[in-house]
Amino acid sequence: MSIVAKELTFVYNPNTPFAKKAVDSVSLTINDGEFVAIVGHTGSGKTTFLQHLNALIRVQSGQLYVNDIDVSAKKVDLKRLRGLVGMVFQYPEYQLFADTVEQDVAFGPKNLGVDKDEVEARVKNALTLVGMDYESCKNKSPFDLSGGEKRRVALAGVLAMRPKVLVLDEPTAGLDPEGKREILSLVKKLNVEQGITVIMVSHDMNEVYENVNRIIVFKDGKVLYDLPPQQLFEKEDEIEQMNLEVPFMAQFTNQLKRRGITLKGDVRTVDQVFEAVQALKEGDVC
Amino acid sequence: MLRDVTFGQYYNATSFVHKMDSRVKILLSVVYMVGVFFVHSYVGFAWLTCFLMIAIGASQVPLKSIFKSLRGILFLLLFSAVLNVFFVKEGTLLVEWWIFKIHDQGLIDAGKLMLRLTLLVCGASLLTLTTTPVDLTHAIERLLKPLSWIGIPVHIAALIMSLTLSFIPSIIEETDRIIRAQKARSADFDTGGLIKRAKAFVPILIPLIISSIRRAEELAFAMNSRCYEGSKKHTQMKVMRMGWRDLVGSLITVVFFAAIFTLYAFADNAWLGANLPWLLF
Repeated sequence: MSIVAKELTFVYNPNTPFAKKAVDSVSLTINDGEFVAIVGHTGSGKTTFLQHLNALIRVQSGQLYVNDIDVSAKKVDLKRLRGLVGMVFQYPEYQLFADTVEQDVAFGPKNLGVDKDEVEARVKNALTLVGMDYESCKNKSPFDLSGGEKRRVALAGVLAMRPKVLVLDEPTAGLDPEGKREILSLVKKLNVEQGITVIMVSHDMNEVYENVNRIIVFKDGKVLYDLPPQQLFEKEDEIEQMNLEVPFMAQFTNQLKRRGITLKGDVRTVDQVFEAVQALKEGDVC
Repeated sequence: MLRDVTFGQYYNATSFVHKMDSRVKILLSVVYMVGVFFVHSYVGFAWLTCFLMIAIGASQVPLKSIFKSLRGILFLLLFSAVLNVFFVKEGTLLVEWWIFKIHDQGLIDAGKLMLRLTLLVCGASLLTLTTTPVDLTHAIERLLKPLSWIGIPVHIAALIMSLTLSFIPSIIEETDRIIRAQKARSADFDTGGLIKRAKAFVPILIPLIISSIRRAEELAFAMNSRCYEGSKKHTQMKVMRMGWRDLVGSLITVVFFAAIFTLYAFADNAWLGANLPWLLF
């Protein structure tokens, strides 16, 4: 199970004066169970690239495989592909439409042709996964929920399709810190416990740094960097030149390194860094 | 995808016609359209075409874009021409076959009708090609100002219109996004019978309506917080000024249409009919 792109190129409005290369010969492989962040400025081609993954945008040139599905082929089994790759757009709560939460979450699996009992089980499971109480919310109108709840229901609508790959476009945009944490820990849980491959677009380098295992930086439709978070943010100057912020914990680790102190292991969250520093201190004393 | 749809048909350029005052452009277009209905001879049509060509030339709009607007009325054009060919029973009989009779006057009328409609649509599209929808609305607001003296709230109508126009691109974008989001949930818009397809649009329409209402509400808040009261005293952001281009454009138009109205006035003139029949044909 992996995603393989080879020389993927996409041009908007080809053969017109407005032609714009949004994705420029991108080649990369994303393996099963990875938690990948895609970062880059608006217009860097990241969203266009991601939409290729479930054939919302068809491949113009190059190759793209999702698992055993050749997405660049003329005929693609869209149902199977879209069941495999779940895509959560920016502000997914704006796609809610049904009378009840239950019906809305069931929309995806129903479209996939799943039978009735299975749909119900999936809806229940997905709502529980995102931390909603199934019994109390299933008959509510999705429009009566709070902003954070709406987003979780929308996420459940994608999860009920049981995707193996989850693509999230700025899943935490517009949420308060508490809501952000909830969504991120949920996504992390899906990745760790269920082995779902997660590909997330984000502008918040702190949340990216702490959560993902790999960061792909897009610039002008090309992949500029493809590195684990610590290695990427060691290039502080280059990152700042791109107008991307360096996460606090990375700044701290880099400062220590400049003073000749290297923290052991892959430490990225505040807690991990705290423990590593404490371990250093104890090491010094002993 | 929907994003490729440009709203209206404004052709971006900085030509003579583009720089003219949009009020003047509207007025001249009205004169032009009236003129089109006063022309009855082929010489008049040639004269009018000549005027249109000068205007198109001065606007730097490619002929192709102008003719594109004809596609919309192609059916109407052909339909009315066919009616004329078969149902005008004047002049000499040219062809007779079963119940169909074609007279020469029918052919002439059909030709004139097609020319008239073509000129009309080309002229109108020249106006919309060289004037942004927002400018058009402002110009209409100014031109209709006399109506506000009898208590018709012209400025409010104009505000509604320009808001509508300026929100169309964002709503198209929103629609596009919702369609993609539902497609990602494996929604199917392209197969099934009529009812199934109509039903398939519910997941698009409901979020779209809701977001439009939300947008309207936010806009109302934003306007209220800037003390908008719908008063008549508010000023225009873009003040329209007439310049030398408007004078030149108007003069050329007046010269052309003076000729057309003269021709119309002398249509029944016996001397002309006897000596220069081609002028009235």
